[in-house]
Amino acid sequence: MFLAGVIVLPLAHAFWTSLHRIRGLTATFVGLRNYERVLEDEAFWHALGVSLRFTSISVAAHVLLGLGLALVLNELRVARTALRILFLTPWMVASAIGATIWLWLLEPQFGVVNHLLVTAGLVERPLAWLGEPGTAFAAVTAVEVWRGVPFIMLLMLAGLQTIPQEQYEAAAIDGATAVQRFRHVTLPNLRYLLVVASTLDIINVVRHYDIIGVMTGGGPAGATEVLPALLYNTAFRANRFGEAAAIGVMLLLMVLAFSIVYLRVTRIGRAEPGS
Amino acid sequence: MSRPGPFAATLLWLAVIVAAIVTVFPFYWMLNTSLKPASEVFLSPPGFVPAQWTLAAYATLLTERPFARYFLNSLIVSLGSTALSVALAALAAYGFTRFHIPGASALIVFLLFTKMLPETLLIIPYFRLMTELGLINTHLALILAYSSFALPFSVWMLIGFFRSIPREIDEAAIVDGASRLVAFFRVVLPLSRPGLVAVALFTFLISWNSYVWALVLTTDPSMFVLSVGIANMVGEYRVLWNELMAGAVIAAAPVMVLYALLERHLVSAITAGAVKG
Repeated sequence: MFLAGVIVLPLAHAFWTSLHRIRGLTATFVGLRNYERVLEDEAFWHALGVSLRFTSISVAAHVLLGLGLALVLNELRVARTALRILFLTPWMVASAIGATIWLWLLEPQFGVVNHLLVTAGLVERPLAWLGEPGTAFAAVTAVEVWRGVPFIMLLMLAGLQTIPQEQYEAAAIDGATAVQRFRHVTLPNLRYLLVVASTLDIINVVRHYDIIGVMTGGGPAGATEVLPALLYNTAFRANRFGEAAAIGVMLLLMVLAFSIVYLRVTRIGRAEPGS
Repeated sequence: MSRPGPFAATLLWLAVIVAAIVTVFPFYWMLNTSLKPASEVFLSPPGFVPAQWTLAAYATLLTERPFARYFLNSLIVSLGSTALSVALAALAAYGFTRFHIPGASALIVFLLFTKMLPETLLIIPYFRLMTELGLINTHLALILAYSSFALPFSVWMLIGFFRSIPREIDEAAIVDGASRLVAFFRVVLPLSRPGLVAVALFTFLISWNSYVWALVLTTDPSMFVLSVGIANMVGEYRVLWNELMAGAVIAAAPVMVLYALLERHLVSAITAGAVKG
Protein backbone atom coordinates (compact mmCIF):
# COMPACT_ATOMS: atom_id res chain seq x y z
CA MET A 1 0.00 0.00 0.00
CA PHE A 2 2.78 2.34 0.93
CA LEU A 3 4.47 1.44 -2.32
CA ALA A 4 1.34 2.30 -4.22
CA GLY A 5 1.27 5.60 -2.36
CA VAL A 6 4.84 6.62 -2.94
CA ILE A 7 5.34 5.47 -6.52
CA VAL A 8 2.03 5.17 -8.32
CA LEU A 9 0.53 8.36 -6.96
CA PRO A 10 3.40 10.64 -7.97
CA LEU A 11 3.60 8.91 -11.33
CA ALA A 12 -0.10 9.49 -11.95
CA HIS A 13 0.34 13.03 -10.74
CA ALA A 14 3.19 13.50 -13.23
CA PHE A 15 0.94 12.38 -16.08
CA TRP A 16 -1.79 14.65 -14.83
CA THR A 17 0.66 17.56 -14.65
CA SER A 18 1.76 16.91 -18.21
CA LEU A 19 -1.82 17.56 -19.35
CA HIS A 20 -2.22 20.84 -17.50
CA ARG A 21 -0.88 24.32 -17.52
CA ILE A 22 0.41 25.15 -14.07
CA ARG A 23 0.40 28.70 -12.75
CA GLY A 24 1.34 28.76 -9.10
CA LEU A 25 -1.26 26.55 -7.46
CA THR A 26 -3.85 26.70 -10.23
CA ALA A 27 -3.92 24.16 -13.02
CA THR A 28 -5.84 24.41 -16.28
CA PHE A 29 -6.51 21.34 -18.38
CA VAL A 30 -4.86 21.80 -21.76
CA GLY A 31 -4.97 18.27 -23.18
CA LEU A 32 -1.91 17.41 -25.19
CA ARG A 33 -0.88 21.04 -25.67
CA ASN A 34 2.23 20.59 -23.51
CA TYR A 35 3.42 17.71 -25.66
CA GLU A 36 2.77 19.74 -28.79
CA ARG A 37 4.77 22.63 -27.45
CA VAL A 38 7.65 20.43 -26.37
CA LEU A 39 7.76 18.62 -29.71
CA GLU A 40 7.72 21.94 -31.56
CA ASP A 41 10.52 23.28 -29.41
CA GLU A 42 13.97 22.98 -30.93
CA ALA A 43 15.44 22.72 -27.44
CA PHE A 44 13.79 19.34 -26.99
CA TRP A 45 15.23 17.87 -30.18
CA HIS A 46 18.57 19.38 -29.37
CA ALA A 47 18.49 17.83 -25.89
CA LEU A 48 17.46 14.50 -27.36
CA GLY A 49 20.52 14.63 -29.62
CA VAL A 50 22.83 15.57 -26.75
CA SER A 51 21.33 12.77 -24.63
CA LEU A 52 21.89 10.23 -27.40
CA ARG A 53 25.52 11.27 -27.88
CA PHE A 54 26.21 11.51 -24.16
CA THR A 55 24.65 8.13 -23.44
CA SER A 56 26.10 6.21 -26.36
CA ILE A 57 29.66 7.47 -25.81
CA SER A 58 29.49 6.94 -22.05
CA VAL A 59 27.99 3.47 -22.24
CA ALA A 60 30.43 2.31 -24.93
CA ALA A 61 33.34 3.56 -22.84
CA HIS A 62 31.94 2.04 -19.64
CA VAL A 63 31.56 -1.37 -21.22
CA LEU A 64 34.91 -1.42 -23.05
CA LEU A 65 36.96 -0.08 -20.15
CA GLY A 66 34.98 -1.99 -17.54
CA LEU A 67 35.47 -5.27 -19.39
CA GLY A 68 39.16 -4.52 -19.99
CA LEU A 69 39.76 -3.68 -16.36
CA ALA A 70 37.89 -6.77 -15.19
CA LEU A 71 39.98 -8.98 -17.49
CA VAL A 72 43.18 -7.45 -16.15
CA LEU A 73 42.12 -7.69 -12.50
CA ASN A 74 41.02 -11.25 -13.02
CA GLU A 75 44.55 -12.20 -14.10
CA LEU A 76 46.15 -10.81 -10.98
CA ARG A 77 47.10 -13.16 -8.19
CA VAL A 78 47.69 -10.57 -5.49
CA ALA A 79 45.90 -7.54 -4.12
CA ARG A 80 42.72 -8.32 -6.03
CA THR A 81 40.27 -7.43 -3.27
CA ALA A 82 42.14 -4.26 -2.32
CA LEU A 83 42.20 -3.16 -5.96
CA ARG A 84 38.54 -3.95 -6.41
CA ILE A 85 37.71 -1.74 -3.45
CA LEU A 86 39.97 0.99 -4.80
CA PHE A 87 38.50 0.88 -8.30
CA LEU A 88 34.95 1.07 -7.02
CA THR A 89 35.34 4.37 -5.16
CA PRO A 90 34.20 6.72 -7.95
CA TRP A 91 30.97 4.81 -8.08
CA MET A 92 30.44 4.78 -4.31
CA VAL A 93 30.97 8.47 -3.72
CA ALA A 94 28.06 10.77 -4.55
CA SER A 95 28.00 11.94 -8.18
CA ALA A 96 27.48 15.48 -6.95
CA ILE A 97 30.65 15.27 -4.86
CA GLY A 98 32.63 13.61 -7.65
CA ALA A 99 31.45 16.34 -10.03
CA THR A 100 32.51 19.03 -7.54
CA ILE A 101 36.00 17.55 -7.31
CA TRP A 102 36.24 17.54 -11.10
CA LEU A 103 35.18 21.18 -11.21
CA TRP A 104 38.30 21.95 -9.25
CA LEU A 105 40.53 19.65 -11.30
CA LEU A 106 39.28 21.35 -14.48
CA GLU A 107 39.41 24.89 -13.13
CA PRO A 108 40.89 26.99 -15.96
CA GLN A 109 43.50 29.02 -14.11
CA PHE A 110 44.65 26.92 -11.17
CA GLY A 111 43.26 23.49 -12.05
CA VAL A 112 45.68 20.59 -12.10
CA VAL A 113 44.42 19.11 -15.38
CA ASN A 114 45.40 22.19 -17.36
CA HIS A 115 48.71 22.30 -15.51
CA LEU A 116 49.51 18.70 -16.45
CA LEU A 117 48.42 19.12 -20.06
CA VAL A 118 50.44 22.29 -20.54
CA THR A 119 53.50 20.77 -18.86
CA ALA A 120 53.25 17.70 -21.06
CA GLY A 121 52.98 19.96 -24.09
CA LEU A 122 49.61 18.51 -25.11
CA VAL A 123 47.91 21.90 -25.21
CA GLU A 124 49.53 25.28 -25.74
CA ARG A 125 47.61 27.25 -23.21
CA PRO A 126 45.12 26.46 -20.44
CA LEU A 127 41.64 25.53 -21.65
CA ALA A 128 38.41 26.91 -20.25
CA TRP A 129 36.98 23.38 -20.14
CA LEU A 130 33.43 24.19 -19.16
CA GLY A 131 33.31 27.50 -20.99
CA GLU A 132 33.35 26.11 -24.55
CA PRO A 133 30.59 23.86 -25.92
CA GLY A 134 32.94 21.20 -27.33
CA THR A 135 35.24 20.84 -24.35
CA ALA A 136 32.34 21.10 -21.90
CA PHE A 137 30.63 18.14 -23.52
CA ALA A 138 33.89 16.20 -23.55
CA ALA A 139 34.49 17.05 -19.89
CA VAL A 140 31.09 15.96 -18.55
CA THR A 141 31.26 12.79 -20.65
CA ALA A 142 34.72 12.02 -19.26
CA VAL A 143 33.44 12.45 -15.71
CA GLU A 144 30.48 10.18 -16.45
CA VAL A 145 32.91 7.59 -17.84
CA TRP A 146 35.09 7.89 -14.74
CA ARG A 147 32.08 7.35 -12.53
CA GLY A 148 30.47 4.49 -14.45
CA VAL A 149 33.36 2.17 -15.35
CA PRO A 150 33.63 0.60 -11.87
CA PHE A 151 30.05 -0.64 -11.93
CA ILE A 152 30.52 -2.51 -15.22
CA MET A 153 33.90 -3.75 -14.02
CA LEU A 154 32.28 -5.23 -10.93
CA LEU A 155 29.63 -7.04 -12.96
CA MET A 156 32.17 -8.37 -15.44
CA LEU A 157 34.45 -9.54 -12.65
CA ALA A 158 31.55 -11.48 -11.17
CA GLY A 159 30.81 -12.89 -14.61
CA LEU A 160 34.40 -13.93 -15.29
CA GLN A 161 34.46 -15.92 -12.10
CA THR A 162 31.56 -18.06 -13.25
CA ILE A 163 33.35 -19.27 -16.40
CA PRO A 164 34.40 -22.89 -15.87
CA GLN A 165 38.18 -23.29 -15.75
CA GLU A 166 37.92 -26.49 -17.81
CA GLN A 167 36.93 -24.48 -20.88
CA TYR A 168 40.20 -22.55 -20.69
CA GLU A 169 42.18 -25.70 -20.07
CA ALA A 170 40.58 -27.39 -23.05
CA ALA A 171 41.34 -24.36 -25.19
CA ALA A 172 44.94 -24.32 -23.97
CA ILE A 173 45.34 -28.00 -24.87
CA ASP A 174 44.05 -27.22 -28.35
CA GLY A 175 46.84 -24.65 -28.57
CA ALA A 176 44.62 -21.56 -28.52
CA THR A 177 46.36 -18.22 -28.16
CA ALA A 178 45.26 -15.69 -25.55
CA VAL A 179 43.27 -13.77 -28.18
CA GLN A 180 41.55 -16.96 -29.34
CA ARG A 181 40.74 -17.93 -25.77
CA PHE A 182 39.17 -14.53 -25.27
CA ARG A 183 37.13 -14.76 -28.46
CA HIS A 184 35.97 -18.33 -28.15
CA VAL A 185 35.73 -18.87 -24.41
CA THR A 186 35.45 -15.57 -22.54
CA LEU A 187 33.21 -13.61 -24.89
CA PRO A 188 30.56 -16.27 -25.50
CA ASN A 189 30.34 -16.87 -21.76
CA LEU A 190 29.96 -13.18 -21.04
CA ARG A 191 27.56 -12.37 -23.86
CA TYR A 192 24.46 -12.51 -21.70
CA LEU A 193 26.04 -10.39 -18.99
CA LEU A 194 27.29 -7.85 -21.53
CA VAL A 195 23.77 -7.34 -22.90
CA VAL A 196 22.32 -7.02 -19.39
CA ALA A 197 25.03 -4.64 -18.22
CA SER A 198 24.81 -2.41 -21.30
CA THR A 199 21.03 -2.16 -21.10
CA LEU A 200 21.14 -1.37 -17.41
CA ASP A 201 23.87 1.18 -17.99
CA ILE A 202 21.88 2.89 -20.77
CA ILE A 203 18.96 3.21 -18.35
CA ASN A 204 21.24 4.61 -15.67
CA VAL A 205 23.06 7.10 -17.85
CA VAL A 206 20.14 8.43 -19.87
CA ARG A 207 18.25 9.50 -16.75
CA HIS A 208 21.28 10.67 -14.76
CA TYR A 209 21.30 14.33 -13.84
CA ASP A 210 23.66 15.02 -10.93
CA ILE A 211 26.99 15.30 -12.77
CA ILE A 212 25.72 17.67 -15.44
CA GLY A 213 23.57 19.47 -12.89
CA VAL A 214 26.58 20.31 -10.76
CA MET A 215 29.15 20.88 -13.49
CA THR A 216 27.33 22.88 -16.15
CA GLY A 217 23.57 22.87 -15.52
CA GLY A 218 23.25 22.17 -19.24
CA GLY A 219 25.39 24.99 -20.59
CA PRO A 220 27.26 26.53 -22.25
CA ALA A 221 24.71 27.31 -24.94
CA GLY A 222 22.93 24.01 -24.29
CA ALA A 223 25.99 21.94 -25.24
CA THR A 224 25.50 19.60 -22.28
CA GLU A 225 21.74 19.93 -21.93
CA VAL A 226 20.66 16.30 -21.82
CA LEU A 227 16.96 15.50 -21.38
CA PRO A 228 17.04 15.33 -17.56
CA ALA A 229 18.81 18.71 -17.51
CA LEU A 230 16.24 20.20 -19.88
CA LEU A 231 13.51 18.78 -17.67
CA TYR A 232 15.03 20.26 -14.54
CA ASN A 233 15.61 23.65 -16.15
CA THR A 234 12.11 23.76 -17.61
CA ALA A 235 10.52 22.90 -14.28
CA PHE A 236 12.64 24.66 -11.71
CA ARG A 237 14.27 27.52 -13.62
CA ALA A 238 11.51 28.43 -16.07
CA ASN A 239 8.65 27.26 -13.82
CA ARG A 240 6.91 25.51 -16.70
CA PHE A 241 5.88 22.36 -14.84
CA GLY A 242 3.42 21.12 -17.43
CA GLU A 243 5.95 21.08 -20.23
CA ALA A 244 8.60 19.63 -17.93
CA ALA A 245 6.28 16.78 -17.02
CA ALA A 246 5.65 16.17 -20.72
CA ILE A 247 9.42 15.95 -21.30
CA GLY A 248 9.60 13.59 -18.34
CA VAL A 249 6.91 11.33 -19.73
CA MET A 250 8.77 11.08 -23.01
CA LEU A 251 12.01 10.34 -21.17
CA LEU A 252 10.08 7.72 -19.22
CA LEU A 253 8.94 6.08 -22.46
CA MET A 254 12.55 5.83 -23.62
CA VAL A 255 13.64 4.30 -20.33
CA LEU A 256 10.63 2.01 -20.42
CA ALA A 257 11.64 0.65 -23.81
CA PHE A 258 15.06 -0.30 -22.45
CA SER A 259 13.54 -1.64 -19.24
CA ILE A 260 11.43 -4.03 -21.27
CA VAL A 261 14.52 -5.22 -23.12
CA TYR A 262 16.23 -5.67 -19.77
CA LEU A 263 13.36 -7.56 -18.17
CA ARG A 264 13.02 -9.74 -21.27
CA VAL A 265 16.69 -10.62 -21.37
CA THR A 266 16.95 -11.37 -17.68
CA ARG A 267 13.59 -13.15 -17.73
CA ILE A 268 12.86 -11.77 -14.34
CA GLY A 269 9.16 -12.18 -14.83
CA ARG A 270 9.64 -15.92 -14.83
CA ALA A 271 12.61 -16.43 -12.55
CA GLU A 272 12.38 -16.58 -8.79
CA PRO A 273 13.61 -13.32 -7.31
CA GLY A 274 16.95 -13.58 -5.61
CA SER A 275 17.47 -17.13 -6.84
CA MET B 1 44.59 -20.36 -16.51
CA SER B 2 48.24 -20.35 -17.51
CA ARG B 3 50.39 -17.97 -15.59
CA PRO B 4 51.23 -14.87 -17.64
CA GLY B 5 54.90 -14.55 -18.64
CA PRO B 6 57.06 -11.77 -17.21
CA PHE B 7 56.41 -9.47 -20.16
CA ALA B 8 52.65 -9.94 -20.04
CA ALA B 9 52.69 -9.56 -16.25
CA THR B 10 54.50 -6.23 -16.54
CA LEU B 11 51.94 -5.03 -19.07
CA LEU B 12 49.10 -6.12 -16.82
CA TRP B 13 50.48 -4.26 -13.85
CA LEU B 14 51.16 -1.21 -15.97
CA ALA B 15 47.51 -1.17 -17.05
CA VAL B 16 46.37 -1.59 -13.46
CA ILE B 17 48.58 1.22 -12.24
CA VAL B 18 47.49 3.67 -14.94
CA ALA B 19 43.83 2.86 -14.31
CA ALA B 20 44.32 3.16 -10.55
CA ILE B 21 45.92 6.59 -10.92
CA VAL B 22 43.10 7.91 -13.10
CA THR B 23 40.54 6.47 -10.70
CA VAL B 24 42.00 7.70 -7.48
CA PHE B 25 43.82 10.88 -8.44
CA PRO B 26 40.72 13.10 -8.07
CA PHE B 27 40.32 11.87 -4.48
CA TYR B 28 43.97 12.41 -3.78
CA TRP B 29 43.68 15.92 -5.13
CA MET B 30 40.62 16.56 -3.02
CA LEU B 31 42.52 15.56 0.14
CA ASN B 32 45.64 17.45 -0.93
CA THR B 33 43.73 20.68 -1.56
CA SER B 34 41.71 20.39 1.62
CA LEU B 35 44.92 20.36 3.67
CA LYS B 36 46.35 23.52 2.10
CA PRO B 37 46.08 27.03 3.48
CA ALA B 38 44.10 29.45 1.29
CA SER B 39 47.31 31.15 0.09
CA GLU B 40 48.57 27.89 -1.40
CA VAL B 41 45.42 27.02 -3.31
CA PHE B 42 45.79 29.75 -5.89
CA LEU B 43 49.36 28.98 -6.87
CA SER B 44 50.54 28.21 -10.34
CA PRO B 45 51.98 25.61 -10.74
CA PRO B 46 49.94 23.78 -8.11
CA GLY B 47 51.76 21.84 -5.39
CA PHE B 48 51.34 18.07 -5.40
CA VAL B 49 51.67 18.00 -1.64
CA PRO B 50 50.78 20.88 0.68
CA ALA B 51 53.90 22.91 1.50
CA GLN B 52 52.28 23.73 4.79
CA TRP B 53 49.80 21.24 6.21
CA THR B 54 46.82 22.75 7.93
CA LEU B 55 43.32 21.84 9.05
CA ALA B 56 42.25 25.47 8.71
CA ALA B 57 39.80 24.72 5.90
CA TYR B 58 38.00 22.15 8.06
CA ALA B 59 37.94 24.52 11.02
CA THR B 60 36.41 27.31 8.90
CA LEU B 61 33.73 24.97 7.58
CA LEU B 62 32.71 23.88 11.03
CA THR B 63 32.85 27.27 12.73
CA GLU B 64 32.09 29.93 10.13
CA ARG B 65 29.89 27.89 7.85
CA PRO B 66 26.91 25.69 8.77
CA PHE B 67 28.70 22.48 7.85
CA ALA B 68 28.00 20.77 11.14
CA ARG B 69 24.36 21.48 10.43
CA TYR B 70 24.59 20.05 6.88
CA PHE B 71 26.27 16.96 8.25
CA LEU B 72 23.54 16.54 10.86
CA ASN B 73 20.83 16.99 8.21
CA SER B 74 22.45 14.36 5.99
CA LEU B 75 22.70 12.00 8.93
CA ILE B 76 19.09 12.48 10.12
CA VAL B 77 17.69 12.07 6.63
CA SER B 78 19.83 9.05 5.77
CA LEU B 79 19.23 7.22 9.03
CA GLY B 80 15.53 8.08 8.95
CA SER B 81 15.00 6.78 5.45
CA THR B 82 17.09 3.69 6.20
CA ALA B 83 14.97 2.84 9.24
CA LEU B 84 11.68 3.51 7.48
CA SER B 85 12.64 1.73 4.30
CA VAL B 86 14.09 -1.37 5.95
CA ALA B 87 11.12 -1.74 8.29
CA LEU B 88 8.55 -1.41 5.49
CA ALA B 89 10.56 -3.55 3.09
CA ALA B 90 10.92 -6.36 5.62
CA LEU B 91 7.18 -6.40 6.34
CA ALA B 92 6.25 -6.21 2.67
CA ALA B 93 8.71 -8.91 1.66
CA TYR B 94 7.48 -11.14 4.46
CA GLY B 95 3.94 -10.69 3.22
CA PHE B 96 4.98 -11.52 -0.33
CA THR B 97 6.71 -14.73 0.67
CA ARG B 98 4.36 -16.07 3.36
CA PHE B 99 0.87 -15.15 2.20
CA HIS B 100 -0.88 -15.78 -1.03
CA ILE B 101 -1.22 -12.42 -2.75
CA PRO B 102 -3.12 -12.35 -6.04
CA GLY B 103 -0.96 -11.04 -8.86
CA ALA B 104 2.19 -11.25 -6.73
CA SER B 105 4.55 -12.00 -9.60
CA ALA B 106 3.24 -9.09 -11.66
CA LEU B 107 3.72 -6.87 -8.61
CA ILE B 108 7.29 -8.04 -8.26
CA VAL B 109 8.06 -7.17 -11.88
CA PHE B 110 6.47 -3.81 -11.23
CA LEU B 111 8.84 -3.32 -8.29
CA LEU B 112 11.79 -3.76 -10.60
CA PHE B 113 10.32 -1.42 -13.12
CA THR B 114 9.92 1.38 -10.58
CA LYS B 115 13.62 1.12 -9.84
CA MET B 116 14.26 2.34 -13.37
CA LEU B 117 12.08 5.45 -13.36
CA PRO B 118 13.88 8.70 -14.14
CA GLU B 119 14.12 10.54 -10.84
CA THR B 120 13.88 13.96 -12.47
CA LEU B 121 10.35 13.01 -13.58
CA LEU B 122 9.29 11.94 -10.10
CA ILE B 123 10.66 15.12 -8.60
CA ILE B 124 7.98 17.29 -10.19
CA PRO B 125 5.00 15.60 -8.51
CA TYR B 126 6.96 15.23 -5.27
CA PHE B 127 7.80 18.89 -5.27
CA ARG B 128 4.20 19.91 -5.84
CA LEU B 129 2.89 17.36 -3.35
CA MET B 130 5.32 18.44 -0.65
CA THR B 131 4.52 22.09 -1.34
CA GLU B 132 0.84 21.44 -0.87
CA LEU B 133 1.45 19.45 2.30
CA GLY B 134 3.74 22.18 3.61
CA LEU B 135 6.61 19.73 3.92
CA ILE B 136 9.19 21.67 1.93
CA ASN B 137 12.26 22.25 4.11
CA THR B 138 11.54 19.35 6.42
CA HIS B 139 13.54 16.21 7.03
CA LEU B 140 10.35 14.23 6.60
CA ALA B 141 10.00 15.24 2.94
CA LEU B 142 13.46 13.89 2.13
CA ILE B 143 12.98 10.76 4.23
CA LEU B 144 9.77 9.96 2.35
CA ALA B 145 11.37 10.67 -1.00
CA TYR B 146 14.46 8.51 -0.39
CA SER B 147 12.45 5.68 1.14
CA SER B 148 10.20 5.56 -1.86
CA PHE B 149 13.22 5.47 -4.09
CA ALA B 150 14.98 2.70 -2.19
CA LEU B 151 11.95 0.66 -1.22
CA PRO B 152 11.19 -1.30 -4.41
CA PHE B 153 14.69 -2.67 -4.66
CA SER B 154 14.83 -3.40 -0.93
CA VAL B 155 11.58 -5.35 -1.02
CA TRP B 156 12.82 -7.28 -3.98
CA MET B 157 16.16 -8.13 -2.35
CA LEU B 158 14.47 -9.26 0.86
CA ILE B 159 11.96 -11.43 -0.96
CA GLY B 160 14.94 -13.40 -2.20
CA PHE B 161 16.31 -13.74 1.31
CA PHE B 162 13.00 -14.67 2.93
CA ARG B 163 12.29 -17.28 0.27
CA SER B 164 15.54 -19.00 1.14
CA ILE B 165 14.28 -19.47 4.71
CA PRO B 166 12.02 -22.52 4.77
CA ARG B 167 8.43 -21.72 5.67
CA GLU B 168 8.48 -24.69 8.06
CA ILE B 169 10.79 -22.80 10.40
CA ASP B 170 8.35 -20.01 11.17
CA GLU B 171 5.43 -22.41 11.06
CA ALA B 172 7.18 -24.50 13.71
CA ALA B 173 7.47 -21.39 15.85
CA ILE B 174 3.77 -20.69 15.38
CA VAL B 175 2.87 -24.24 16.36
CA ASP B 176 4.95 -23.69 19.50
CA GLY B 177 2.60 -20.87 20.41
CA ALA B 178 4.32 -17.82 18.92
CA SER B 179 2.21 -15.34 16.98
CA ARG B 180 2.95 -14.57 13.34
CA LEU B 181 4.68 -11.34 14.28
CA VAL B 182 6.77 -12.94 16.99
CA ALA B 183 7.81 -15.65 14.55
CA PHE B 184 8.77 -12.95 12.10
CA PHE B 185 10.83 -10.92 14.55
CA ARG B 186 12.39 -13.80 16.48
CA VAL B 187 12.96 -16.32 13.72
CA VAL B 188 12.90 -14.88 10.22
CA LEU B 189 14.62 -11.54 10.78
CA PRO B 190 17.69 -12.90 12.61
CA LEU B 191 18.16 -15.50 9.88
CA SER B 192 18.16 -12.88 7.15
CA ARG B 193 20.66 -10.55 8.75
CA PRO B 194 23.01 -10.36 5.72
CA GLY B 195 20.10 -9.30 3.56
CA LEU B 196 18.98 -6.68 6.05
CA VAL B 197 22.51 -5.28 6.31
CA ALA B 198 22.80 -5.07 2.52
CA VAL B 199 19.44 -3.36 2.18
CA ALA B 200 20.15 -0.93 5.01
CA LEU B 201 23.53 -0.06 3.56
CA PHE B 202 22.04 0.39 0.12
CA THR B 203 19.36 2.76 1.39
CA PHE B 204 21.79 4.69 3.54
CA LEU B 205 24.17 5.25 0.63
CA ILE B 206 21.40 6.26 -1.77
CA SER B 207 20.11 8.79 0.73
CA TRP B 208 23.51 10.10 1.73
CA ASN B 209 24.64 10.49 -1.89
CA SER B 210 21.45 11.94 -3.27
CA TYR B 211 21.60 15.44 -4.63
CA VAL B 212 18.80 16.57 -6.90
CA TRP B 213 15.95 15.64 -4.52
CA ALA B 214 17.44 17.63 -1.70
CA LEU B 215 18.17 20.46 -4.11
CA VAL B 216 14.51 20.73 -5.01
CA LEU B 217 12.89 19.91 -1.67
CA THR B 218 14.97 22.27 0.48
CA THR B 219 15.32 26.00 -0.03
CA ASP B 220 16.28 27.08 3.47
CA PRO B 221 20.08 26.88 3.93
CA SER B 222 19.66 25.51 7.44
CA MET B 223 17.98 22.45 5.92
CA PHE B 224 20.62 21.74 3.27
CA VAL B 225 22.26 18.35 3.23
CA LEU B 226 25.98 18.03 2.51
CA SER B 227 25.77 17.48 -1.25
CA VAL B 228 23.56 20.55 -1.74
CA GLY B 229 25.58 22.69 0.66
CA ILE B 230 28.79 21.84 -1.16
CA ALA B 231 27.43 22.27 -4.68
CA ASN B 232 26.02 25.62 -3.57
CA MET B 233 29.46 26.87 -2.60
CA VAL B 234 30.54 26.45 -6.23
CA GLY B 235 28.26 29.28 -7.23
CA GLU B 236 29.87 31.76 -4.88
CA TYR B 237 31.69 34.80 -6.15
CA ARG B 238 35.13 33.61 -5.18
CA VAL B 239 35.32 29.86 -4.65
CA LEU B 240 37.65 28.84 -1.82
CA TRP B 241 38.63 25.49 -3.15
CA ASN B 242 40.41 24.28 -0.04
CA GLU B 243 37.19 24.71 1.94
CA LEU B 244 35.14 23.17 -0.82
CA MET B 245 37.43 20.15 -0.96
CA ALA B 246 37.36 19.83 2.82
CA GLY B 247 33.59 19.70 2.49
CA ALA B 248 33.91 17.00 -0.14
CA VAL B 249 36.15 15.00 2.21
CA ILE B 250 33.56 15.30 4.97
CA ALA B 251 30.83 14.10 2.61
CA ALA B 252 32.84 11.28 1.05
CA ALA B 253 34.60 9.92 4.13
CA PRO B 254 31.61 8.17 5.77
CA VAL B 255 30.75 6.50 2.47
CA MET B 256 34.30 5.26 2.00
CA VAL B 257 34.55 3.98 5.58
CA LEU B 258 31.21 2.16 5.42
CA TYR B 259 32.10 0.77 2.08
CA ALA B 260 35.54 -0.47 3.08
CA LEU B 261 34.09 -2.14 6.17
CA LEU B 262 31.10 -3.75 4.53
CA GLU B 263 32.38 -4.26 1.01
CA ARG B 264 31.32 -7.88 0.80
CA HIS B 265 27.68 -7.16 1.65
CA LEU B 266 27.49 -4.29 -0.73
CA VAL B 267 29.12 -5.97 -3.68
CA SER B 268 26.76 -8.91 -3.42
CA ALA B 269 23.83 -6.50 -3.25
CA ILE B 270 25.00 -4.58 -6.31
CA THR B 271 25.68 -7.61 -8.47
CA ALA B 272 22.51 -9.36 -7.36
CA GLY B 273 20.53 -6.22 -7.98
CA ALA B 274 21.90 -5.74 -11.45
CA VAL B 275 22.11 -9.22 -12.87
CA LYS B 276 18.97 -10.57 -11.34
CA GLY B 277 17.15 -7.33 -11.26
